[in-house]
Amino acid sequence: MNIILGLINGMITSATPILLAALGGSLTYYAGIFNIAMEGMMLSGAFFGMLGSYYFHSWPMGILFAILGAILMALIFILFAVVLKMDEFITGIGLNLFAVGATTYMLRQIFKVKGAFASPEIVPIPKIDIPWIKDIPVVGEILSGQNLIVYLTLLATIAVSYLVFKTRFGLRLRAAGYNRTSLDTSGVSANRIRVWSLILCGVLTGLAGSFLSLGYVTLFSEGMSAGRGWISLAAVILVSGNPTGIALISLLFGFTDGLGLFMQRSLPSQFTSMVPYVATLVALFVYSVRLKKKQTI
Amino acid sequence: MKRKILVNVVGVLLAFLLGAVVMLVQGYNPLETYYRLFEYSLAPGKIAYTLSKSVPLVLTGMSASVAFASGPINLGQPGQLLMGALLATIGGLYIDLPPLLMIPFLLILAMLGGALWSGVAALLKYWFNMSEFITTLMLNMIADFFTYWAINYPFFEKNANHPQTPFIAKSGWMPEWGNFNSSVIVMVLAFAVIWFIVNRSTAGYEWRLSGQNSLFSRLGGVNISKNYLVVMLLTGALAGLAGGLVVMAGPHRFIKDIGGNYAWDGVMIAMVANSGIILTLVFGFFFSVLQTGSLGMELITAVPKELIQVLQAVIVLIVVAGRGYFETFFAKLEARRKMRERIA
Amino acid sequence: MADIIEMDRIVKIFPPSLVALDAVSVKFSKGEIHAIVGENGAGKSTLMKILYGMQPADSGEMLYNGKKVKFADPGEAILAGIGMVHQEIMLIPQYTVWENVVLGYEPVKFGGRLDVKKARELVKQKIDEFGFNLNPDAKVEDISVAARQKVEILKLLFRNVSVLIMDEPTSVLTPQEIPQLFGELKRLRDNGHTILFISHHLEEVLELSDRITVLRKGKKVGTIKTAEATKAGLAQMMVGREVIFDSIRKNQTAGEVLFETSALNYTDPDKRPRLIDVNIQVRAGEIVGVAGVEGNGQLELVNLIMGLIEPTGGSIKAVGEDITRKPILEKRKRVAFVPQDRANMGASIAANIAENVIMTHHRLDKRFTRWAGRILDFKQAYSFTDEIRKKFDVQMSSGEAVFKSLSGGNQQKVILGRELLLEAPFILLDQPTRGLDVGSIEYVHQRIIEMRAQKRGILMISADLEELFRLTDRIVVMHKGRVVADLVTEKTNVTEVGYLMLEGAAYEA
Repeated sequence: MNIILGLINGMITSATPILLAALGGSLTYYAGIFNIAMEGMMLSGAFFGMLGSYYFHSWPMGILFAILGAILMALIFILFAVVLKMDEFITGIGLNLFAVGATTYMLRQIFKVKGAFASPEIVPIPKIDIPWIKDIPVVGEILSGQNLIVYLTLLATIAVSYLVFKTRFGLRLRAAGYNRTSLDTSGVSANRIRVWSLILCGVLTGLAGSFLSLGYVTLFSEGMSAGRGWISLAAVILVSGNPTGIALISLLFGFTDGLGLFMQRSLPSQFTSMVPYVATLVALFVYSVRLKKKQTI
Repeated sequence: MKRKILVNVVGVLLAFLLGAVVMLVQGYNPLETYYRLFEYSLAPGKIAYTLSKSVPLVLTGMSASVAFASGPINLGQPGQLLMGALLATIGGLYIDLPPLLMIPFLLILAMLGGALWSGVAALLKYWFNMSEFITTLMLNMIADFFTYWAINYPFFEKNANHPQTPFIAKSGWMPEWGNFNSSVIVMVLAFAVIWFIVNRSTAGYEWRLSGQNSLFSRLGGVNISKNYLVVMLLTGALAGLAGGLVVMAGPHRFIKDIGGNYAWDGVMIAMVANSGIILTLVFGFFFSVLQTGSLGMELITAVPKELIQVLQAVIVLIVVAGRGYFETFFAKLEARRKMRERIA
Repeated sequence: MADIIEMDRIVKIFPPSLVALDAVSVKFSKGEIHAIVGENGAGKSTLMKILYGMQPADSGEMLYNGKKVKFADPGEAILAGIGMVHQEIMLIPQYTVWENVVLGYEPVKFGGRLDVKKARELVKQKIDEFGFNLNPDAKVEDISVAARQKVEILKLLFRNVSVLIMDEPTSVLTPQEIPQLFGELKRLRDNGHTILFISHHLEEVLELSDRITVLRKGKKVGTIKTAEATKAGLAQMMVGREVIFDSIRKNQTAGEVLFETSALNYTDPDKRPRLIDVNIQVRAGEIVGVAGVEGNGQLELVNLIMGLIEPTGGSIKAVGEDITRKPILEKRKRVAFVPQDRANMGASIAANIAENVIMTHHRLDKRFTRWAGRILDFKQAYSFTDEIRKKFDVQMSSGEAVFKSLSGGNQQKVILGRELLLEAPFILLDQPTRGLDVGSIEYVHQRIIEMRAQKRGILMISADLEELFRLTDRIVVMHKGRVVADLVTEKTNVTEVGYLMLEGAAYEA
């Protein structure tokens, strides 16, 4: 029983940052932007989140700073890809590399350490115990006691779903992705919508970053986004942006991640770490084969 | 031609300007910092070292450049480098030949390792139409973990404190003369060969034209899928070669993080060089100058060397954005001029 | 009736030398249906795009309700009350009818939430008001093309436009759907709306419009009342006066069949038949022209011959060999190809001229390679480029110059040079002189005649009837995917061919 609980909790923890980043990615996906900069935005969020919490001794400031940090990256993306009309792919790669360099540099400059910075003065984001629910056997141990961000993620999934499918903004957002010209001729600037989608993506990836440095562990280490941004990108592509689908896939990836940890007893840890990436390949394989089938019919 | 050089130079200068601003804000002296940067990497005693350090940058850069210029989006250089390094290391652990044979042998193994790894992505595209953009990226992570496992278990050096393999046979160590490492010679040879293939051979011609306009090339009779496969294998081999040389010219064994940031830097170099082979060599060397120089810079002026990482990314962003901007700007000027001619 | 729109001496030039509109002046009256007709390239779309703010005019003025106007973008035009329904439907296929109609003008509830109920109601109101037969909840991708067109109109009416511009409205409709559209347009007119529509279908123009303006090659030929117009008269105004075009061919008998398509059929992935039972033959020493309004199967024919798509039935033979499914390089041994779309199919504009010129030659002609075809001999490439420069009178600085730097006419000449100098016995030309100045056109025509004298077989698709009459031995007319006529050029005339192109059937006097 404990093993299963451990697996499930591990799955939730691993899935949370991926899901958040993927939700951000889905917004830009719907807007028709080829956004591969989630990795850099998340990393930036993780760094600034840690910074905010450390200096203000408060985790709400940490979250705020994390979001601002990610939005900063989003603004740079907007500058190059939207304003200067540079290729979105190159912008994304450049931004990711810039984020790694900048956060590492600032880590050294501000905290005078290399590799990682941890300190008791960094205030982590707390876990939340929900009264009554926590007393429910088995289920209670999963539903209650999770990190605040996990609950926020749940809200975010619902919020993004609502935003995209039930609001005026969402109608225009998807229209921008389907047919930019059509939207423009309808009198709404597709560019403005795209800019907003990037900023919202920043908010969500910033939140994901804050979970990395203030939730799961309480420290910042160089490159701690560790490819999660890429996995979230894969998630977005595989389900064509749909938020519910993203939630499921993120849980799946989180599960394989947790499964990997679990399998460490029998397999060397390196193979188990590979599992999410192999899973992405398999998922892409299934997707590509299905696409091929559709085309031949 | 002159316009192209101008864009590159202006972009780099702008980036340096921004870097100077950051330094000023933090209280450092930018002029002295930059001076130390270049002094450390270009001084007569040091330049050989800088050259040696540019080898993996240039090779991975060429891998990315050739791929991008021909069509396939090969982003798997990090993984291909590691696999090449691993295969070369394994060869160096179990086989011993006289140096004249050993070095080419290991280099070939390295290229094989890289080509094998890129070949996986190529086959996945060929058979299942899986986007090589995603597969090469995933394969990077998988290679990372796989090689880490390899140096922890099967090829682990007994009694070592950290994960690493034993030294490879001495015959496989790239000879050095002072600071100058013979891997530079391999790099120059590879550069010459690649330049020749890309710019003078029939295949290279087809690759370039397919990369520029694949429909036109297809109509011209070019076999696009065959060329795709060959380019993926070749660029994988180049990245693998970089990996082999890193082992053979560096620590002489496979240690953790031996790939460092080389391959991603290589991708950046290819982008800022706009996939041109010669520019890749130039920027590869330039980035090495920045990276080696950053060590000296830090020693004397205390500016952390990580600033260079940021500077590199900014250079890429500004040069590429500037290039695009220049093009549209000049195109608009041309169009306006011609219209005025007509109406007049 | 008052003039609601006046366009005065509009000029539009596409660099470097294409005069799309040459001081065109037209007046449109309020509450009328006004047709603008002309052949491909006559300038009709361009004129309307300028009115609608999609393109700026180079010179000239526009008056709307007596006031000078200039719309910077369609949004401004719509605000002023002018709306355009494009030929390519600009809707979001994945959205429903009502979503498409309200996009940009959505009713919202508290907090930006879409007021779906109100939106649907409003749309339904408009549907009923104008008598359209639409289901507001249907997805646009699921409804017929005719219905999509109505949605486009509805979208504009939702924004209260009073002037509707329609670009080739019947080109996407089946014959059965056309009367319904006409009924709706007439009702709109009776309601006080003004309708301008672009067309080249004579029957429809005569049936629907109150007045007709004819454009030809960028100039206005005239504006006439529909009641006073006839089909034959219109056709003549559109394609030019009855002149015996000086043929520049010398008499020669054609040789054996070099190229033929047999029962060629092609259905596109959307299940629409694009080519139906096409049989075309080209003999040695013969130029066969393909006349037809764009979009009647010519594109598919070209793509099939070149091997970009595969036919659903039938075969293609060149020099006696079945090349229907052969690899493209194999085809190129027998087929030279000058495509319509220079930049995308005919060249790599980023490469230099020499590199463009040796494409295909590099595999078929040993002269350009050494070491068993592995290394390129660039000296030969440059000398070949020079050959082409001289033979085809190309103005270029050197073979090393970027292809993009050449003018349109010179680009075309280079492509022609490359293709005509292949040793292929069959030559496929698609709009070979489009966008060229008079001098270049003359030059190109001479080269084509030369090929004929050399006993090569030439299939030439062209929208320029003058050109067809000047060069060809036979003319094949395509209409809605079929070959509706196979005529000997000397025995036919422009009016007959023009009519066949537009109506698909012979003109009954």
